Amino acid sequence: MTTFRRLLGFLRPYRRSVVASLVFASLAMVMTVAIPWLVGRTVDVITPPDTDRSAILPLALAIVGAGILRLGLTVVRRLIAGKVSVAVEFDLRERFYRHLQGLELGFFDSQQTGQLMSRATIDLQSIRFFLGYGLIFLTQNALTLALASAVMFALKPDLAALALLPVPFVVLSAMRYNRRSRPAVQEIQQRLAELTGEVEEGISGIRIVKAFARERFMLDRFRRSVGRVFDQEIYSTRLQAFYSPMLGFLPSLGLAVVLLVGGRQVINNTLSLGDFTAFYTYLIMLTGPMRMLGMSLGMAQRAVASGNRLFEMLDREPRIVSPADAPALPEGPGRVELRGVSLAYNGGAPALEDVDLPVEAGRTVALVGPTGSGKTSLVGLLARLYDPSRGAVLIDGADLRSVDVRSLRSQVAFVADDSFLFSATVAENIAYARPNASREQIELAARRAQAHGFIERFPDGYETLVGERGLTLSGGQRQRVAIARALLADPRILILDDATSSVDAQTEAAIKRGLGEAMAGRTTFIVAHRMSTISLADEVVVMDGGRIVDRGTHDALIERCPLYAEIAEHGLADSVFLQRDLERREEVAGL
Amino acid sequence: MKGEERATRSEQASDRDGRPDDPITEPDPETQGSDVAEETEDQANQPGRLMGTFLLLRELWRLVRGERQRTRKLSWLFGLLRPYRARVAVTLVALIAATAAGLAPPYLAGRAIDNGIANHDLNALDLIVAAFVLSALVYWAATYIQTYLVGWVGQRALQDLRERIYTHLQGMSIGFFTRNRPGVLISRLTNDIEALDTLVTDGVVTLISSTLTLLGVVVILLLLDLQLALVTFVTFPLLAVGSVAFRIASSGAYRLTREKIANITAYLQETLSGVRVVRSFAQEPRHLDRMSVLNEENKAANMTTVYLNAAYFPAVELLSAIGTTVILLFGGYQAIDGNIKVGILVAFVGYLNAFFDPIQQISQLYTTYQQGMAALDKIFDLLETRPDMVDQPNALDPGRLRGEIELDHVSFSYGEEDWALDEIDLHIPAGQTVALVGETGAGKSTLAKLVARFYDPQRGRLLVDGHDLRELSSAALRSQLGIVPQEGFLFSGTVRENIAFGRPDASEDEIRAAADAVGAEPFIERLRDGYETEIGERGVSLSAGQRQLVAFARALLAEPRILILDEATSNVDVRTERIIERGLERLLLGRTAIVIAHRLSTIRRAGRIVVLEQGRIVEAGTHEELIEAGGAYSRLYGAWAEQAA
Repeated sequence: MTTFRRLLGFLRPYRRSVVASLVFASLAMVMTVAIPWLVGRTVDVITPPDTDRSAILPLALAIVGAGILRLGLTVVRRLIAGKVSVAVEFDLRERFYRHLQGLELGFFDSQQTGQLMSRATIDLQSIRFFLGYGLIFLTQNALTLALASAVMFALKPDLAALALLPVPFVVLSAMRYNRRSRPAVQEIQQRLAELTGEVEEGISGIRIVKAFARERFMLDRFRRSVGRVFDQEIYSTRLQAFYSPMLGFLPSLGLAVVLLVGGRQVINNTLSLGDFTAFYTYLIMLTGPMRMLGMSLGMAQRAVASGNRLFEMLDREPRIVSPADAPALPEGPGRVELRGVSLAYNGGAPALEDVDLPVEAGRTVALVGPTGSGKTSLVGLLARLYDPSRGAVLIDGADLRSVDVRSLRSQVAFVADDSFLFSATVAENIAYARPNASREQIELAARRAQAHGFIERFPDGYETLVGERGLTLSGGQRQRVAIARALLADPRILILDDATSSVDAQTEAAIKRGLGEAMAGRTTFIVAHRMSTISLADEVVVMDGGRIVDRGTHDALIERCPLYAEIAEHGLADSVFLQRDLERREEVAGL
Repeated sequence: MKGEERATRSEQASDRDGRPDDPITEPDPETQGSDVAEETEDQANQPGRLMGTFLLLRELWRLVRGERQRTRKLSWLFGLLRPYRARVAVTLVALIAATAAGLAPPYLAGRAIDNGIANHDLNALDLIVAAFVLSALVYWAATYIQTYLVGWVGQRALQDLRERIYTHLQGMSIGFFTRNRPGVLISRLTNDIEALDTLVTDGVVTLISSTLTLLGVVVILLLLDLQLALVTFVTFPLLAVGSVAFRIASSGAYRLTREKIANITAYLQETLSGVRVVRSFAQEPRHLDRMSVLNEENKAANMTTVYLNAAYFPAVELLSAIGTTVILLFGGYQAIDGNIKVGILVAFVGYLNAFFDPIQQISQLYTTYQQGMAALDKIFDLLETRPDMVDQPNALDPGRLRGEIELDHVSFSYGEEDWALDEIDLHIPAGQTVALVGETGAGKSTLAKLVARFYDPQRGRLLVDGHDLRELSSAALRSQLGIVPQEGFLFSGTVRENIAFGRPDASEDEIRAAADAVGAEPFIERLRDGYETEIGERGVSLSAGQRQLVAFARALLAEPRILILDEATSNVDVRTERIIERGLERLLLGRTAIVIAHRLSTIRRAGRIVVLEQGRIVEAGTHEELIEAGGAYSRLYGAWAEQAA
C-alpha cells in the first residue's frame, strides 16, 4: 500500500486537475446514466394504455440535451486528464533519468543495461498507464457502476439485486485476465527479442555458418526460437480464448434474468415496461464498465509491482557525491598522491591493495602489468569514478572526497580502450567536454591525435555523423577521436588507458609526437602493453595482483624486475607489425 | 497478445477513455526504431495530420488502386494458410456462428416484450429467454473456438513464413550479406512479420466479423421495420466518414508518438552504454538537458493524440445519443399509432451499439492494412531476390582434398569500383602456410574470400587440387575449409557447442583433444561449468584471447584441409599471447593455410610471405629472402624495427 501511496504522490502537483477531471467525469456519468432512464420513460409514454403523445418530444429533447451536455463535459474532462497523464509521464521519466545520472559508475557495473532499460520502458510504462489512465478508468467505471446500480435499486430493488449478480464475477475475471495476460504478453516480447538475437547471430555469423556448412544446424536453432515464440503466443491466445468470451457471456446472464424475472413482473404489473427497458439498457451499458473496472484493477496491481521495482532504484542513494559546500579542486600543477589505497568492488576481492603512489606534477607514468593487475582500477580512482575502500587519493594536496566532483572531473580526462563515441557529429564528439570550443581548437586537438587526416576524408568532414546512426568508425579511428576529445578538455591530469591499442605502429608514432606536445605541463598516466607506448613515460610502475611491484625507469626495471623484463620482451617482439585494416569498414565476423 | 489489444481497443473505442492504441498496443520501444531508414521510407506514404475530404478521398483511391496491384501478394499471403485449410474452415464457421449469436440478443429482447410480456404469454417468454441463454452459450463456445484457432493458424502460418525467409536468406551468397545491412534483414524476420501478424490475425478477423455484424444489423433492422431502419441509418455516413478521418489523422499522430518514444529509448540506451565517458567528463547536465528536450517532444506528440481523442470519442457518444433520440422520436409516434411494436423499438435501441462498434473497428483497419502491406512488400522483395551463387547441376564432389590452391589470372571487383584484385597468379602447394601482407585495401581479405568462395572472380579461375571452384559442390568444398575470423566470432551456446560447431558428431574426447591442442583447455576448465558454460549474451563473456582460442579449437576439430585465418589484432596479455602463438602453430600444422597476418611471429613462421599492393602481388618469398631483396617488405620491416626500438 505504501508503494501505491507513493505512486499517487506523482499526481500531487496536479491535484487540482485530478479533482477537476473527476468532477467532470462524474457529471458526464450522471448524463450517461440518465439516458437509459429517459429511454425507459419514453417507452412508458408510448406503451398502451397510458400513452402520452405530447411527452415524447420533451423526452427526446432531454436525451439529446443529456448527450450534448455529456459531450461538453467529456471533452473538457479528456483535455484535463490527458494533460495530467502526459505531464506525469514526463515527470516520471525526468525523475528516473535524473536519478540515473546522479548514480556513480559502480552502480552501473553491478547492473545489466538490459535490466535498467526494462525499468525505464516496461515499468515506467505500466506506472504511467495506471496514473495517466488507469486511475481515471477505475474511478469512472466504479462510479458508473455505482450510479447505475443505485438507479436500478431505486427502480426495483429485488430485480436489481438479481440482475447485478454477475457483476462481481465479471470484475474479478477481468482483473484476473489482465493480471495474467500482461506478463504473458511481455513474455512474448521477451521471446521475440530472443528470436531477434538468434537472427542477428545467424546473419552476422553467416560467414562462419557457410564456411562450416552448418546452415541446417542454424535453421534448427532458429526453429527452436520460433517455436518458443509460437508456444508463448498460443499460451496467450488460450488465456484470451478463455477469458474474453466468458467476459461476454457473464453479463448476458444478467440480461436473461431481467427478461425472465422482469418480464414476469411486467406481466404481474409490479414493473412498468419502461422500467423494464431501462433495466435492460442499463445492463447493456454496464458491460463495458464492469470489464474495464476489472482491467483497471489489474492495471493497478501491475503498477504497484512496477512501482516496487522503480522505487527500489529511486531509493538507491548515489554513493559518490560531493559535500554540499565542497570547494572546487584547488589550483595546482597536478601533483597526484595515492595513500594506502585499497579498492574492492561491491565487496568482492580487492582490486587494489595498499597502494602508495606519489607522482610529481607534470610527470608521465606508465602503468604496466598483466590483465587484472589493477591498472584500470587505479586510474579510475583519479577521476573519482570510484572511491577507495581504504586510504585516500589526493590531487594537489586535496582529498578527492572533499572537493566538488564536477570541478575535479573537468581537470582529469580519460581515454579508454573501448572508446565510446556518442551518436553525434565528429566535431561534437571531440568537443564533448567543452561544447563551446571553436573549430580551430577542435581541429588542433584532432591534429594532435592524428585524427584530422581521416576526418577530413569523411563525407561531411567534421560534421559527419558517427555512432549508431551514422558512420561506423574503426577501432583505431574511434580511439583517435577519443584522444582528441581528451586533449580538448585541457585537463591537468591526462589518463590514457590502453588508448592506442587499435592503432597501428606508424600512426602510433605520429600520435606520440602529437601527445608529446599535448602532455607538456600535465601529469599523465599511461596504461599500455606496447613498448612503443611505454617509452613515452618518464618512469614505469609495474603492477601485479593489485599491488605495486616496482617502480623506476625502463633501464633500471629491465635489470631488476623479472615481470617487467618479461613484459618488455614480449612488447618488443610481438607488437603489431603492419598496417591493419583500419579505414575500411569490415563486416562483423568478416575476414 | 492481439486479443487483449483488440478487447481493450474496442472497449475504449466504444465509449471509454481515449488512446485507442495506447495501453496495450504501444509497441515495445526496443523493437521500434531499429530501422530508422525504413521508418522514414514509410513516412512518405503518410498523409500527415491534415484532415479534409480531399485527402480522405485521395487515400481511399490509393487504397483501391493499391488493392489491384496487391491482390497477387495478398493471395500469396493467404496461400500460406493452405496447409491449415480444415482449421481455417472451422474458424470461419465459428466466426459466423459467433457473429450470429452476438446479433441475436436485441432481437430476442424485442420478441420477449412483444410476444411474451405484451401478450402475457409466460410460455413464450420462457422460450425466448431460453433462446437468449442458448445464443449466449453459442457465443461463448464459438468465440472460444474462433479466438483459439485464429491465433493458432495465424501464428503457425507466420512461423512457416519466418522459416521460409530464414531458409531463403541462408541460400544467399556472402556478397548479398555485404550489400544488405544486417539490421534491414533482421527486421524482415521480426518487425515485418509482426506487422503481417496484425494484418492476418487481427485485421482479417475484424474485417470479417465487423462486416458480418454490420450487414447483419442492417438486414435485421430493415426486416424489422423498413422505415425506422432507414431513419436510423442517417447517422451511418456521419460516423463512417468521421471515423475514417479520425483514423487517418491519428495513425500519423500515433506513429509520431512511437518515433518519439523510440528516440527516448535509444538515447537512454546510448547514455547507459557510454556512462563511463559521461561520468569521467562530468557531462551529466548536458544529457539531462537533451533528455528533457526529447521528453518534451514526446509530450507534445502525445498531446496531439489527446486532442484528437478528445474530439472523436465524445462525438461518437453524442452521435449514439442522437441515434437513440431519432429512434425514439420517430418510432414513438409510430408506436402510439400502433404502426410499430414497443419491442421492436427496444430492439432498435439495442442494435444501435452493435452497429456503432463495427464501423469504428473497420475504420481502424486502415492503419493495420497499410502497415501490413508495407511489410508484405518488403518481404516479397526479399523472397523474390534469387540466390546469386548456386551449385551447377552436375557439381563435383572431389572427395578428400590435398589442398593445393592455384589462382590463375584472377581479377575481382566489388562493383563499379576499381579492381580489388588485379590479375593475380599464385600457386600454393598443399600444406604450405602463406602469409598475406599489405596495407589496408591491398586486397588481402578479398583474396582470402575468393578462396573460401564467398565470391566468384569476374576474370580468371581459382583451382583447388586442379578443380575450378565453380565446378565443385559448395557443401563438399566448405566441409574441408576452415575459417578463423578476426575476433573469434562465437555463437551463443555452450563452449562445447561452439567447439563442435563444424563437427556436431564429435566425441567428448575429440572436443577435449582439440581444446587441449590449441591450449584452450586450461581456461575452459576454470570456467564455471567447464565445457558446459554458456557464453554470449546470456552467459559468460570471454576475453578476446579466449575467444580466439575457442575459434582455433573449433577450426581444428573440423579438420579442414584448407584454413583461412584472419589474425586478431586485439591486445592480450603476455601469457595469453604465448598460448595463442602455440595454438596457432598447432592449427596450421599439416594443412594449406592462408593467413591475413598482423604479427611478426606469424609472418616469420610462414612458408611464404605474399606482399600485396593495390590488388597486385608485388613480392613473394620467405622473411629472409624478402629482407635480402630489399623491396616493399623490407621497407615495412625497417619502419617497424625503427618504431619498436
